[in-house]
Amino acid sequence: MSPAGSPSPPQPLVAVRHRRDARHLTKGQLADFRAAIAAAQAIKDDRGYQYWAGIHGLPLPISCTHHTHLFLPWHRAYLYLFEKALQDLVPGVTLPWWDWTATHALPQIYTTAKQPSNKPNVLLRSPIQQSARHDTADDVIWPAETYRQPGGGGALPTAAQLSAVLKNKDFFTFQTQLESLHDGVHMWVGGTMGAIPVAAYDPVFWAHHCMIDRAWYLWQLAHPGAQPPANLLPRALAPFSMTVKDTLDIADLGYDYAAGTVAATGPSANTGGHQHG
Amino acid sequence: MVDRFTSAPLELPGDDGFERADLIFYSIDHSGASFEARLFHDSPKADHTTTGDDPHYLGSFFIFGHGGCAGDPGHCDLPTRTDPYDLRPPHQLLPAIRVVTVTDQIKQLITSGQTTFTVTVVAHTLEDQPGDVLAFDTIRLATYADAAGGLLANA
Repeated sequence: MSPAGSPSPPQPLVAVRHRRDARHLTKGQLADFRAAIAAAQAIKDDRGYQYWAGIHGLPLPISCTHHTHLFLPWHRAYLYLFEKALQDLVPGVTLPWWDWTATHALPQIYTTAKQPSNKPNVLLRSPIQQSARHDTADDVIWPAETYRQPGGGGALPTAAQLSAVLKNKDFFTFQTQLESLHDGVHMWVGGTMGAIPVAAYDPVFWAHHCMIDRAWYLWQLAHPGAQPPANLLPRALAPFSMTVKDTLDIADLGYDYAAGTVAATGPSANTGGHQHG
Repeated sequence: MVDRFTSAPLELPGDDGFERADLIFYSIDHSGASFEARLFHDSPKADHTTTGDDPHYLGSFFIFGHGGCAGDPGHCDLPTRTDPYDLRPPHQLLPAIRVVTVTDQIKQLITSGQTTFTVTVVAHTLEDQPGDVLAFDTIRLATYADAAGGLLANA
């Protein structure tokens, strides 16, 4: 309440943000996304790309949850928080998703060598921080930069395979079968994407996991009310301050999945002429 | 760790009065390289040259691997935790489960008069990765009246 006792002015409603198909980004949306990744790469502290990639794998501790009951909730929280970090750098930017059932190839925005500005494409590869590159026990040295060897193994799921997985009613069976498809994509991309300790350094990691997260969302839509068992809901998703329950409804997290979006400013907008939908 | 394995014979249901059949693999190790496990029935000689076009092919599952240990000796040893007050997250290398739906193939085996079948699992890793990555402790054939699915929570 204001000192005069009148209600505080209402805050403007904030619309959910759309994650879009990587094939259907407008030039402006793609420019914003590349700008966000480039800005994150330039930050060396715990707001930066290397920090976020390192949470998934090396340097220790490896915090991702694979092959457990928390696979989908943990990665939903991870994407959400990384996306928030990007939005601190470029407001409104979202992560695109890679529909491997539709393209059966890496999205072009992740494979071109140059951006339209003729700068190197920040989505093609990423450095791997020094502290992540040495596995002491097995004496493995990971490379200084991500690389891919697509098609050398693994498989990109077909629409029929994904559809079959989405028909499961039981959360654990659905999650386990979806994770197997997910694992096959990591292997198909190959190179550093093929190993848990360094996979998240590759920029295409985020697009792949957005597709996995989208598949979970589609499963939730197809099976209203189906969710992880109650005893899993209060589980923490370390190192994040979120629980499984916090991840169940993407509307609560402020995003949605769209094939693509376009937008235009209205007469009262104050965006400095910059609006990428 | 091995690169291929053939199970003991598994008993088939007496009839095909089920809507779904899953092969469930328990306690799969994922500490090493990523791999695809290709499954064949009644093919103990199946190996890395046997393809998915083989008539005995059942399907496959994938495992995204840790690629070795990144810590000092003992870092990746699975702890035995019995303390009910230990609220730490589970160890990263707790073994995995995979479910491969094989309804049509199992029904065909029953129709052909078979009463048992074996499963041969062949692990395929990426080039330049070690191949001996296969370790799990149980294969189970589960059949369900409901086509929509299994219940791992009760397994």
